[in-house]
Order: sequence, then structure tokens, then C-alpha cells
Amino acid sequence: MELRINQKAYQVDAEADTPLLWVIRDNLGMTGTKYGCGLAQCGACSVLVDGNVVRACVTPVAGVVGREITTIEAVEADDVGKRVVAAWVEHQVAQCGYCQSGQVMAATALLKHTPAPTKVQIDAAMVNLCRCGTYNAIHAAMDALAAGKETA
Amino acid sequence: MNNRRFARTAGWLVLPCVVAAGLLAWYVTREPASPFEQQQATSFDPALVSRGEYVARVSDCVACHSLPGKTPFAGGLEMATPLGAIHATNVTPDREHGIGAYSLADFDRAVRHGVAPGGRRLYPAMPYPSYVKLSDDDIQALYAFFMKGVQPANQPNIPSDIPWPLNLRWPIALWNGVFAPTATYAAKPGQDALWNRGAYIVQGPGHCGSCHTPRGLAFNEKALDESGAPFLAGALLDGWYAPSLRQDHNTGLGRWSEEQIVQFLKTGRNQHAVVYGSMTEAFNNSTQFMQDDDLAAIARYLKSLPGDPQRDGSPWQYQVATARQDAPGAHIYATRCASCHGLDGKGQPDWMPPLAGATSALATENASAINITLNGSQRVVTAGLPDAYRMPAFREQLSDSEIADVLSYVRGTWGNHGGAVDAKAVGKLRGHTDPASSSPIILHMR
Repeated sequence: MELRINQKAYQVDAEADTPLLWVIRDNLGMTGTKYGCGLAQCGACSVLVDGNVVRACVTPVAGVVGREITTIEAVEADDVGKRVVAAWVEHQVAQCGYCQSGQVMAATALLKHTPAPTKVQIDAAMVNLCRCGTYNAIHAAMDALAAGKETA
Repeated sequence: MNNRRFARTAGWLVLPCVVAAGLLAWYVTREPASPFEQQQATSFDPALVSRGEYVARVSDCVACHSLPGKTPFAGGLEMATPLGAIHATNVTPDREHGIGAYSLADFDRAVRHGVAPGGRRLYPAMPYPSYVKLSDDDIQALYAFFMKGVQPANQPNIPSDIPWPLNLRWPIALWNGVFAPTATYAAKPGQDALWNRGAYIVQGPGHCGSCHTPRGLAFNEKALDESGAPFLAGALLDGWYAPSLRQDHNTGLGRWSEEQIVQFLKTGRNQHAVVYGSMTEAFNNSTQFMQDDDLAAIARYLKSLPGDPQRDGSPWQYQVATARQDAPGAHIYATRCASCHGLDGKGQPDWMPPLAGATSALATENASAINITLNGSQRVVTAGLPDAYRMPAFREQLSDSEIADVLSYVRGTWGNHGGAVDAKAVGKLRGHTDPASSSPIILHMR
């Protein structure tokens, strides 16, 4: 089957029910997207499909054929994604960093749909888990992005 | 004189009692007739053994008579009953602990009538009120399989926990007299061969009604074939709600085509649902092994059972969600459920089932919705391969009131109208299904 990932077409040989995450990491070697829980609970595997955030560990690959997939590798090719990464650096969000590619994807998806999200909307969208507890830094970066105040 | 008259009167009273007691004793220990009684030679032709293996698959014998990872058919499965736990028995051809010494007639009486050699009555956890419908041919094949296709296991049976006098078996004969039919399946005139084959499997070997038909006060299935409206109308059973298999639009198979029923039984999933709860075992052990024409027959038969609009409520139609994002249930849904089941509730068919229009979100009984949220689903194993996607257990992650909130949201959104869930109901089922408790619901009366 053919997948479109980061504006590029890839021929993939996989069973229809293979999780998209396995295809991205194992078949295509793009390891920026992380495997966390495998049960859609943590969000480390978040990618964008047609601009919406999905958890790749519970996305059967057959369901995303013909759709535009974006992973962390290409997030900075997107204007919004570029702003998010800059804010993340500005606020020094990452600690161990394992969950952060997923956090950045979730933030990008939110801001693409809602450029100036309210606190409630941020709370509703930024639900990925972080074992280091970087939630305060994430919220500081998000508040700045929502207010258009980032310096980068 | 008075004394003599008294003795004579007493004699006239005692005599009928003695006669009645004698008749009762005969009735409750008698061995029912078997068409195989005079049969000396029994065939163990390999083709017959292999056909018997198929009948055993369709009848799902392994579900109760085997433990995972243990010797097949050596018994041991614990089943909770209101009186105490009982254990499925060793049905390997071992002569000491199994059924190796059974004649074909003995085997027939046990399977179709629930009577072991010597007249001892089996508990109706063994679904003989359904298996009585098995044809003579299938009984012979099944016997050949259990005698020659199963390895003997010298494993003793586990006695039941039921205390005396409740553990006396003879009263079951009276129960049988009232509730257990005695006739094998007879093809219904006016229906075609496919329908009749489906009726035979559903009512007989498939024993679908053991879970899906509601039970009466004496734990009897309220109907054993399509002549009774309660047949396969949905039943609450040990923490799961086995839904209607009739043509109910919301809670039954009204929206399923025959092809979708076949697909569900063959692959464990279709665009409406994925097997879960006790049905996972029925799929893993039985329905996926059924031949395509048998599955088509089942589908044809089930599609002929009318629904009951009064019970089923107003027909479900999809509606766009209108609840606020920060409503308690909506927020939990978005964070815990939406990745698989979709913010729109439509799921990712056929892999992850929709919750919009799901039986568990439309049935008044909410046990299945609570149970699967607390405990997740088991692995669906198709052709030896476990599935990639499973419902996780939220027992440790969500409180009773959080589960009540999210399920109330699911059961009240996208046109679903199953009704709100109370935190107390969640707490109750949490206790019953706690693997750490001394008496969790592990297995079920089938």
C-alpha cells in the first residue's frame, strides 16, 4: 500500500491491521515518534493525520491510506509546528524528552484548528502524559503560543 | 378397638405415601431411554472422529471442560452458582476419572439428558436442555471423537463446594421434568434447509440461549426455541449483558445484515461491534471454526427472529454530539476513549468498534458497559494470531464516579439513549469482578 508521510510517498508492505506506529518506526525507520503504552493512553506516539492528532499505536495502517500523515520529523516544515518547537525551546519544556514529540504534535494540532485557544481548550487538548512532570512548562509554552507572545 | 381402627386408618394413609415415595425414587434415579441402548458395535472411523471434533467445536465443549494451558478436556473449570462453586469434569477417555468406561448410550444420556451412569443427575450448567436437540448422528460422531480423538488424562475431578443437603442431585430430575425438553431437533416444515440448519445449531450444539436467553426463577431458560418471545431476547449474566440476538433495532441484530453476522462469528468483528466479554471465549474457541455454510445458516435463522419495539425503544439514529468539552464525562471521553473510538463515537471499523449506536450504549442494562470499562477485553485470537487492538482496563485509573461520568456521556451522546450510569453500580461491579477478592466472578453459567 502507499502512504503519504511528510509530503512524500512511501510503498509499504504491511498487514491492513498493523498499527501505523509500527510502520513508521519499524518499516520506515522514522523513530522520532515514540512507543509508550501501546494502548492509546499516553500520547507518546501522536502524529497528525490530515491535520488532526491521532495516536499511531491504535491506528490501523489501512485506515490512513490516501491521507496526509505528518510526524515529528517534519513538524517544522509547518508554520504552526515551527512556532510550537520554538516556544518549547524558549520555555525549555523537555526534560528526558521521551513524550515531547507527542506533546509537540498535540500542541500543533490544537493551534492549527484553534489559533488562540482558551485555557479550557488547552486543558482539553493537552492530555498526553509526561513522567517527568513537565506539565507546568507545557502550559507556560501553550499560554504564550495562545497569546501570540512567543519571542522566537 | 380404638387402637386397631387407628392402625388400620394409619395403614391406609401410609400406603399411598410409600407408593409415592417409591415412584419418586424410581423417577429421580431412572436412566432415560437412549436409541443406542441395543447398539453393541460402535464405529470409530477416522472420518467420524474428525466430524465429531467439528461437533465438539460447534458445541464449544472445550470452553468449560478445559483450562487454558492444561490438558484438553481434563476438566477443572470453576463455575459460580448461587449455591456454591462447581467444577467441570474430566471428559477425556480415561477410565478412572474420565468417561472412558461410558458406552455410546451412557454418553448420549449424559450429553442430551444430563444423566450420568447409575442415574446421577448432572447440574444444568451442562447445557443438556440445549444439547438434547443434537441429532443421533452428531451424538455418535461426538462420542467417536471423545473416545478416539482425545488423549486420556488421569486427572481426578474436583468436588463441588455446595453443602449438604443442597448438593443432593436427585431433585434435579424434578427440575428436568419441568424445564428440560426431551426431543431432538425436528426440522420445521415450511422453512428451508438453511433456516433449519441454523435453528439446529443455535438451539442445539451452539447453545446460544445459555447466555442470550433470560432465565426464570428456577434458572431455567424462559424459551428454548423461536416459539417463545424471550428466546435470545438478551440476558444479564454474571456481570455481562448478553444482548438480544433478535431483530431489535437498537439492542439486537436489527441493523446487521446476514453477511455481517457471518463476518462477526468468523473474524470476531464487523462494522458494528467486536467480540468482548464472554463472547470472546465463544469466538476464540468455537464460532471461528464453524464452516461458512453453517455460519450462513445461523445468520439466516437469527434474522428470522422478530424484535420487540416496545422493549427496544425508539430506533437509534446518529446525532452530532452537543455536550461541552469540559463536561465531566466529555473530558474523560476525549482523553481516555476518543483515540480509538473517535471523538465522533464512530470508532475505526472494523478494528475498533463504534460506540455510537452500540448495543451496550442503548440497552437499559449497563453491566457490559461498566464491566468492559473496568476490566477491558480479552485477546481476540483469530487463526492462532492475537489481535493488535484491545480495550484496556481502567480499573486502576478511573474512580467509580469517573467511570459513571464517562459512561453516562457515552450512553447519552450521538443519539445513544441507554441512560445514565450510577457510581454505585460501578462500585458494585468493581467489587464483584475484583481479581483480588476471594470470590470474583470468573466464569459463568453457560
